[in-house]
Amino acid sequence: MATAAKQSVKTLRSQKRQRVESIGWLQRPRHVVLVVFSVLGLVGVALLHVWLRLQVVHMGYVLSTTSKLQNQLEQENRELKVEIATLTSPDRLEAMSRRRLGLRPPEKGQVIVLP
Amino acid sequence: MKRSAHGNRLRLGVAKVFFLVLFVVAAGRAFQLQVLQGEKLKRLGERQHLKEWIVLPKRGAVMDRAGEPLALSLEAQSVYARPHRIPDPARASRFLAKILNLDVVDVEQKLTSDKPFVWIKRQIGPQEAEQIQALSADGVGMFYEPHRYYPQGQLAGQVIGFVGRDSEGLEGLELHYNGYIRGETGSSVVERDALGRRVLVQGVEGLQIPPGGDIHLTLDTSIQHLAEKELESTISRYRAKAGVAIVVDPLTGEVLALANYPSFNPNNFSRQSSQQKRNRAVVDSFEPGSTFKTILAAAALEEGVVGRDDLFYCEMGKYPYAGKVIHDTHPYGWLPFSKILQVSSNIGFTKVAEKLKRERYFKYIEKFGFGQITGIDVPGEVSGLLRKPESWSAIDLATHAFGQGISATPIQMVMAYAAIANGGFLMRPYLVRRVVGSKGEVLLENQPHVVRRVVSEKTSRLLASMLKEVTNEGGTGVMAKVEGFEVAGKTGTAQKADLTHGGYAASKRVGSFVGFVPADAPKLVALVLVDEPEVSVYGGVVAAPAFRNIARGALRQLAVAPQEPDLVPPPVGQAELPVRQVLKKETEVGDGSATGVPDFVGLSLREAVQKARAMKVKVKMLGNGYVVRQSPAPGGRWNEESILVLNLQG
Repeated sequence: MATAAKQSVKTLRSQKRQRVESIGWLQRPRHVVLVVFSVLGLVGVALLHVWLRLQVVHMGYVLSTTSKLQNQLEQENRELKVEIATLTSPDRLEAMSRRRLGLRPPEKGQVIVLP
Repeated sequence: MKRSAHGNRLRLGVAKVFFLVLFVVAAGRAFQLQVLQGEKLKRLGERQHLKEWIVLPKRGAVMDRAGEPLALSLEAQSVYARPHRIPDPARASRFLAKILNLDVVDVEQKLTSDKPFVWIKRQIGPQEAEQIQALSADGVGMFYEPHRYYPQGQLAGQVIGFVGRDSEGLEGLELHYNGYIRGETGSSVVERDALGRRVLVQGVEGLQIPPGGDIHLTLDTSIQHLAEKELESTISRYRAKAGVAIVVDPLTGEVLALANYPSFNPNNFSRQSSQQKRNRAVVDSFEPGSTFKTILAAAALEEGVVGRDDLFYCEMGKYPYAGKVIHDTHPYGWLPFSKILQVSSNIGFTKVAEKLKRERYFKYIEKFGFGQITGIDVPGEVSGLLRKPESWSAIDLATHAFGQGISATPIQMVMAYAAIANGGFLMRPYLVRRVVGSKGEVLLENQPHVVRRVVSEKTSRLLASMLKEVTNEGGTGVMAKVEGFEVAGKTGTAQKADLTHGGYAASKRVGSFVGFVPADAPKLVALVLVDEPEVSVYGGVVAAPAFRNIARGALRQLAVAPQEPDLVPPPVGQAELPVRQVLKKETEVGDGSATGVPDFVGLSLREAVQKARAMKVKVKMLGNGYVVRQSPAPGGRWNEESILVLNLQG
């Protein structure tokens, strides 16, 4: 009986010691800091991921707008090229120079080609 | 205390079980969504926020040798409708018809049709597009499509060709070089947001499809314009059916101008006839007539069967041969070979052909490139008709001698003359110098290509000197003479086959002139061909003046200095005055000849008389037909009392 009581007291003591030891591990500041930093790190990585995703989407919008603008400017450039070519077509230039300036093809002797 | 601890354990147990069940349910649901229905749900999600973005092909430009654009592509909008989504088709059709200038009934028919998609109008203008955008009608939308513009209009229309609505080349260079200039269609999957805007989270690499290459032509816009203008005025003046003018650099084979009449404007190709679309210079063959005598002359000189001064009896204009009678326009007796070429005697050339024999003549016809395509880089080229000498009848030797019974394309003819001009080399003609990719890389470059040597340099020089006589006093081509330059060339007046009754048509002729200038150091070879002229039929009258004007302008454009420079200042006229003074005197600007000798060259007898009367000029007419020469020459100093002598021919 006495032996059993002794053993149960021993067991209780060892359990108590273990509990005290585990609480002590947590109570050590080094370990708390580690846990806190780990959690903060995980949260930080998660936030960074979200931020990066938002940035990607934002840049996607910017790229889309810029690409659209680029296409518009290219189209405008081509339209202007068509306009220039239409306005400077030989047919139109000849008609205008005859009508507005009274020009005509040069006569013999009016063109001197330099060697 | 005991009950309380027991209660706590119970609550803790219940909470444990609750969260465990919750976790199991959540895990099960997650398993269902991610694994069991994963693929299906992924597809549904992608359908909502991913879209296939089609990149339309960007067709390259076509430019002349100086970089002047002749064809450019723009994106134009096309209007479509989804009829079942339109709430009030009658109202929508009224608005659409008004904006797009269409018939209301036609539009309403489209909007009430059972089809899920209909085009209302393709490739509309920017102003129309803005109005449709402002209308923002349900079930009506716009779609960008490439549209081809030809800013120079009809300039070189048949050469450049055209593209269809799907941006595929259908004719001309647009078809021949379609693979280089078409550009590729691309597509890329892009994300889009709730409003349908695209979000390029994957970057733009997938959307950057390289455009098609730009084509740089050998054509010179100024010379092309000049050739087209001269051809048109010639055809209208002589009331002809059609015509061709070609200018080629004889040393390289580069085509500087290739004009066809009737003209063709590729901007509205669907409204123009197939006759207008024909590039006659390569797809039509003609019996060349007397211009072909040069080929026989080259062969005979090269083979040494005749010399420049060998005499032939021209039978006073009538020569019975192989059961037929060969005629000359004017009767001649004994003539040296050079003179036979100068006056273009059919009888003289028949006798030369008899000396050369048919096999040797045929060999040179083939060597000059007749009966085979030249290889010019446009589609549809024909080889002309050339029969083997074994199948020639007795009369065929004579008819081949003066260019009948054989057919050749204008481009074959001009390249044969280029071979004589450049010292005896048959060159391959080409229209495209190079094709340049979007990053400036050269995708294709055409270099001058010698097909073969046809005659020796000695023969070609000798023949060139004989051809010079054609445009000198007494020749058939005096109207082709360009001031300050010696011109070597030959006139041709060919009969046309009667396709209905057989034989030759009584009145249909093809007048032509082919030549090169300057004769001793040729910079260009040009051909002018006029099909079925009515007012006059002779090549020397109809085509030679057009050749002169084209050659004069082209030489000026190419900055070729005259062999006989005329540095004497021109008579004081308005062209010398500064522009301001010209503008001041604009009302006085007439034909510019008031202070100099008026130009009568090229006018018919009647026109010359009318002009002389109107200008109160005393004239003396020599001969009949058209003015080929005048003395004093146009532009010189002029005394109103002096008499102007006009020599007429044709």
